[in-house]
Amino acid sequence: MSNEFQAHQIRDIIKINYKYTMGSQSKFFLELMNNKKILGTKCSKCGKIWMPPRINCSDCYVSAEWIEVKQTGIIEVSTIVWFTTSAFIKNIPYATGYIKLDGADTALLQGIFSENLVPSKIKKGKRVRAVFQKEREGKMTDFFFVPEDEYENWLNKPDYEGGD
Amino acid sequence: MKKVAIIGVGITPFRARYLDKTYFELAYDATKLALEDANKNGADITHKDLQSTMYGIYNELFERQFMPDIFINSYLGMNNKPGTRIASGGATGGYTVRMAYAEVASGLSDLCLCIGVEKCNDCYDEQTGTTTPEVLNSIAYSADMTYEYPMGMMAASSYVSMVNAHFEEFGNPTEEQMALVSVKNHGNAMNNPKAQSPMNITVEDVMNSRIICYPFKLLDCCLYSEASAALILATEQKVKELKVENPIWITGVGAANTDCFIGNREDMGRLYSNIYAAKVAYKMAGLEYDKIKSQIDLAELHDAFSGQEVISYEELGFVPFGGGGKWIESGGPLMDGELPCCPSGGLIGCGHAVGATGIMSTGEAALQLRRDAGKHQVKTIENGRAISHSIGGPGAAYAAIIVMENEEGMKK
Ligand SMILES: [Zn+2]
Repeated sequence: MSNEFQAHQIRDIIKINYKYTMGSQSKFFLELMNNKKILGTKCSKCGKIWMPPRINCSDCYVSAEWIEVKQTGIIEVSTIVWFTTSAFIKNIPYATGYIKLDGADTALLQGIFSENLVPSKIKKGKRVRAVFQKEREGKMTDFFFVPEDEYENWLNKPDYEGGD
Repeated sequence: MKKVAIIGVGITPFRARYLDKTYFELAYDATKLALEDANKNGADITHKDLQSTMYGIYNELFERQFMPDIFINSYLGMNNKPGTRIASGGATGGYTVRMAYAEVASGLSDLCLCIGVEKCNDCYDEQTGTTTPEVLNSIAYSADMTYEYPMGMMAASSYVSMVNAHFEEFGNPTEEQMALVSVKNHGNAMNNPKAQSPMNITVEDVMNSRIICYPFKLLDCCLYSEASAALILATEQKVKELKVENPIWITGVGAANTDCFIGNREDMGRLYSNIYAAKVAYKMAGLEYDKIKSQIDLAELHDAFSGQEVISYEELGFVPFGGGGKWIESGGPLMDGELPCCPSGGLIGCGHAVGATGIMSTGEAALQLRRDAGKHQVKTIENGRAISHSIGGPGAAYAAIIVMENEEGMKK
């Protein structure tokens, strides 16, 4: 027997299908899909507005109530991604940012779309507004943000529409 | 609590890919190296003397095996003894050292094996015919799956958000200051035969490397690695009984998990877990956050991304907030600087074998304190103290800091 090492690799895949429960977060996704509303939650004790929503305040250990937040907000921080995971590599370059929606106390990670995707266009402090997919599935990808001055242009594109 | 010492260190080479070894074979190699090192250090022990194992393994998808620890347990001949797996993202290694420390300090074990291993580059992306996008995807499943993963969240975009927010607040670190970290760590790795990415490069090379995630460029990012690292921990009584020549005492362990949703944080430009973990570890070791830079001889930091190392200088108390960039410009963290940071080359120079990384950096710091680090030995070991730092998870939510001291350090 030869002692020379010969490598052997096998092709394999791990795949699991889900019917994933959204639990109390269901309302956020249903309102998004059916009514183009963005919901946060307000703590019944400290008044903090959570976004993404959670129906229990983690600071006060009391319940929080659903409220609608504005569809406009401000970019807290952003980046443009040029190299990424196998699931998203077809989308590069794409931008994401933490957006503080008007009226919310915490910031939501979302896609920021722009007709001119450069760092200065999506800098901290820039105002953005939500645009919705016409075909919605009750997922985070049902909406994204665009710079406020591009909002009307995005509504003219066939796949998208504004909120109410 | 009992006093706990590191009596043996074993680190396999960090490589892009081992075709001739599985994850459990890598773990075996590191364990054997750690036992041989303990033997050289005076302790006449074999694997049969080890009473328990703490396993640091981050990601089942890398290993293509859920509960990989039990298969390692079999291969290491550790059957019928307790073994516990720790998984805390990029901080898995540091957290595993902390738990192995607790195992020994509590008296549950007198001799404990603390081992980390990862073999990530078996992931393979059929669309591009390359490895990395699939590795990144298997890591991206650590992001919040409901709100953040669907936005294309990945490790670099998560860290870059904090670095960009830090820059907005302090004008620091600049792209050039980040590049200096890359130059330093790739350069330090030139003297570490176990490192995956030794390189003699310039700031210009970093600035010209391709953009990954604005403003991180390729050379600002660590590469994923395959490797294993192991430590043998012992109680003071065992150290005496075995006549260990050069025990390195663990005198401080600190860990903290900050909010994994960056958007929930009061200030997005902070890796808060760093600050809390450091303060706890320093206090336990009787050291001071504001004076730490002059109380230790070196730091093995978690530089998954260059900009994050600069922020760590500030958050671990080496320099005031906003001062990290200036400090690297002044040469402070260089090999011959005020406080050498990542003499091994860190993650940027050695590579990042996630579960093994923090154990490698703790082992490296211990070897430095033993003056056993070889060509990358730090010249001045006068305080007899060092720290290792691990951070990771979504938004760098997990962090762990380990403070170590040699016999001279213990007398101070
Ligand atoms: Zn509250």
